[in-house]
Amino acid sequence: MNKEDFRSILTGAVSGNHEDLEKILELYMPLIEKIIISMEILDEDLKQYLMIHIALQIGKFPM
Amino acid sequence: MNHQEKSERDELRARFTGWLEVTLYRAKLNYVKRLEREKSFVYVDVFPEELWVSENPERNWIQGITEPGAFQFEEERLEKAFHTLSEQRKEILAMLFVEERTPKEIAGQMDCSLQHVYKQRSRALKQLKQMLEKGGEENE
Repeated sequence: MNKEDFRSILTGAVSGNHEDLEKILELYMPLIEKIIISMEILDEDLKQYLMIHIALQIGKFPM
Repeated sequence: MNHQEKSERDELRARFTGWLEVTLYRAKLNYVKRLEREKSFVYVDVFPEELWVSENPERNWIQGITEPGAFQFEEERLEKAFHTLSEQRKEILAMLFVEERTPKEIAGQMDCSLQHVYKQRSRALKQLKQMLEKGGEENE
């Protein structure tokens, strides 16, 4: 993914575009899973919680 | 790709990744804290009355909540009811109960009055209560 693609997806996600948000979640899934695995168990509830949290908070990222 | 473009891409990604890491770390801490609080307390009003008269009420209650579907149904109904709320009310409830922010902070962030936050919270909770009561009657 090049600079323009990433900026475009991130801008879309920040402004509330669901498709772009899904792409960001997919792109950052390894980070989410790394945080979950650090709790020593694969907690599906925590995974869902973090994904919802990203959806609620991403609009606050200062572009 | 020249050096300047690469540098710009790296800067935006690095900034977003750093922001996301901090955000997720805080969210995880909140989640863990909430789990700990839930484990520490058993409210009397969630302890079914019929179990008070059994020989071992604590054991029966624990069996009840660990059996699949015991409280999941309530959570599903709450989730469905939550999705019927307006975006603004959902956002206010999420900030109040998930992020544990104060109404004053929310009013500042949403650029509205404190009174508006209280009013929206009250209406949202009332709406959720009505939806859950309505759902309960349908299931009886």
